[in-house]
Amino acid sequence: MKKDQKLMAAEKQFQLWLAAAAVMHAFILFLLLYLQMWGSAGHVKPKIVSVSLVSLPGSGGAGMHSESPGENSPPAAAEPAVKKPLPEKLPPVARKPVPVEPVKPVVVDKPVDINKALALLKQKVAQKTPPVAQPTSGSTLNKALADLQQKVKSNGRPGGTGSGEGRTGSFGSRSSGGKGSGTGGTADPYKAAITDIILQNWAFSKQLLKNSYGMNVYVRINILPDGTIRQIVFDKRAPSEYLNNSVKKALEKSSPLPALPKEAASRDVWIGFKFTPEGIE
Amino acid sequence: MLDSKLGIFGLLSDAGAVVLMVLSLLLSFSIISWAIIAFKFGYLRKSLQESKAFLDYFFDVYNVDKAFTESERFRNGSLPRVFRSGYIEYRALGNKGDVTQARARIARAVKREVNAEYKRLSTLVPFLATVGNTAPFIGLFGTVWGIMNSFHNIGLTQSASLAAVAPGISEALIATAAGLAAAIPAVIAYNYFTQQINIIERDLEEFSPEFVAAFINEP
Repeated sequence: MKKDQKLMAAEKQFQLWLAAAAVMHAFILFLLLYLQMWGSAGHVKPKIVSVSLVSLPGSGGAGMHSESPGENSPPAAAEPAVKKPLPEKLPPVARKPVPVEPVKPVVVDKPVDINKALALLKQKVAQKTPPVAQPTSGSTLNKALADLQQKVKSNGRPGGTGSGEGRTGSFGSRSSGGKGSGTGGTADPYKAAITDIILQNWAFSKQLLKNSYGMNVYVRINILPDGTIRQIVFDKRAPSEYLNNSVKKALEKSSPLPALPKEAASRDVWIGFKFTPEGIE
Repeated sequence: MLDSKLGIFGLLSDAGAVVLMVLSLLLSFSIISWAIIAFKFGYLRKSLQESKAFLDYFFDVYNVDKAFTESERFRNGSLPRVFRSGYIEYRALGNKGDVTQARARIARAVKREVNAEYKRLSTLVPFLATVGNTAPFIGLFGTVWGIMNSFHNIGLTQSASLAAVAPGISEALIATAAGLAAAIPAVIAYNYFTQQINIIERDLEEFSPEFVAAFINEP
């Protein structure tokens, strides 16, 4: 009887320790969770800059705006009320042409998008125009729209170079103006779209490279009218096989690409890319 | 709450059923191990201290009646318990029978109590050895299973990028870490308790004949 009591007392004590151990484990798990939450709160995430490769058609042809005053500027008194010239609304993206590109890129004209953009532009200008009618604001708007249409037309030519008049504006007595020119082909929306697709399929980590010196891959692809990549040619390989393979896999994975635009759908096209650890140039 | 930002817990929320089962098993092993460690540590420590104190008293007085009275104070000690069982047998014999027979009977009672005491001391300790031996393997099983699933998923997604491989392997390795976390304290405690039990057992074997001799040669 005494032994049973002792045994029960021992069991009871053991159960007590069992409960204590369970509480201790729960506490440790909670502590771990808390530490991780605390650690993650203190961790500063790097800023992510999202850059869209698709720009408004024709922006490549837009001139590089010069802010230098007095150059080819009309008289300042002519447009006293204009605060912001309209061409500034256009994204100032002007990409370099791919050096190994054997065929000039095909420019696709999208009149529907341009009309939409123009309508949007008109709306915005109408909203921003002050309620009191300025004598020269209407003419400025018309001039800006005319400029924009001219640029769009000039970009519509395949592979043509666009040229843009420098914007003119006046702020008080100061006048500014400039000239600019760019290659219309780089704003090719089809190329931008396929670049985006290839980038999405490109599984590559820069940190896995020991050094990034000379890590450039020049590659050109032959695209059939239906968008299938027929051939991949490496014009220049990088010293790292990891980079080369990742590029090859990305291109293979991206096939089939969207079908070629109607203007170029009659034949296959060659498009070149330069892959660097930072991305596609 | 447990989203992917929260490290281990974020990974666990995406873990498979087998890995979760393995982790639960290891958690329960760890809880039971720590309960045994705490329970046995107190028990063995008390037993050693009381046995030592009783032995000192016994060799001081060398009187079985006084020693028996004093042994009531050392209820948790192994040696006092053995002494008490021998004393009870000795008193049960009274004055009847010859010395050889009395010695044999007392020795048998003492031996029985020594065995019982040894069992009592070593209860639950083998569980620590089991945890120490099996927990790493159980954890390894969870890891192997997790990596297996991870590779299967890599095959399905057809992507071998680090982003696709690393989370699965990281999740799987938690099982090995948990197995080691359960096994290491269990092995340390097992070795310590085995040593302590061996000390007490040696004392019991050495001093049991002394007790028998004390009962027979009582003045």
